Amino acid sequence: MTSKIINMVERMKDAEDRLLESMFESAAIADNGFSARIVKKINRRLWLRRLVLPVAVLVGGAIAYKPLAALVALGAEFATFVPLETLTRASSSIPQFPSVILGAILLVAGLFGLRMIED
Amino acid sequence: MTTSEDNDLVARVVSGQDTAAFGELIRRHQSQVRNFLRKLTGDFTQADDLAQDCFMHAWDKLHNFSGRGTFIGWLLKVAYTTFLQSKRKSKRYAEILASAGQVADQESRSTIVENHEVTDLDKFLAVLDEQERAIMVMSYGCGMSHREIGTVTDMPVGTVKSVIFRGKEKIRNSFDIKNHQHG
Repeated sequence: MTSKIINMVERMKDAEDRLLESMFESAAIADNGFSARIVKKINRRLWLRRLVLPVAVLVGGAIAYKPLAALVALGAEFATFVPLETLTRASSSIPQFPSVILGAILLVAGLFGLRMIED
Repeated sequence: MTTSEDNDLVARVVSGQDTAAFGELIRRHQSQVRNFLRKLTGDFTQADDLAQDCFMHAWDKLHNFSGRGTFIGWLLKVAYTTFLQSKRKSKRYAEILASAGQVADQESRSTIVENHEVTDLDKFLAVLDEQERAIMVMSYGCGMSHREIGTVTDMPVGTVKSVIFRGKEKIRNSFDIKNHQHG
């Protein structure tokens, strides 16, 4: 009700208001490629965003390749110093295939459970 | 140009980053946004640059549009904010702010006359300060209600009304507007 009254009061314009309205009135501006320019700019930005991650991975990989290769070589060299018995004992403590599967099933079930609780 | 069509286009943009839908939104509203900024800046080239920035900001912030008001109202708010930000960034504006209010008033008047023929409207706008100019343009140029203007400018409706009243009084005191013809 109050808003209706406000709108009615706003609509009650005097001659001065109408004159001002006619003076502020302006002709429509033709698009003339304005919207196309902006859409092109946005598309370019979207492409840039999509490229950022792969390019970062490539550049990071190129930078990290040398030190990473040296680290792997060092690791292999270090393995020769470790006694064979220690290595076989260590490999037995690595989880076997059935336990990996069981772990994965538990993880998926846990995630589903969490989602259900959230819902 | 209905609100529901605008809202459908906005939904397409937000849900799927649909640039074609956003292009359609620009085509629908570019004229009003550019006219609004042209009247605020008094410089066609600067206004068009600002309009471009405004639509880029709108693309980034479109998910914030709640759909409660009209899309053009929201867009004009983005345009007004873009205009104010550009003003703040401008070194020249900082100098104007630092100097006396009188000088700032004169400087803002001088920006009106750049780049195009001076019309009666330009003379009217020149006697108003920045805030009055923006609100008068929104009210008389864009046909926005006082409430919509309040939302755009973050002002209470009462303040909007008093700014319009003050603006009209300034124009009335500077010109005999009853004898003015459109031009």
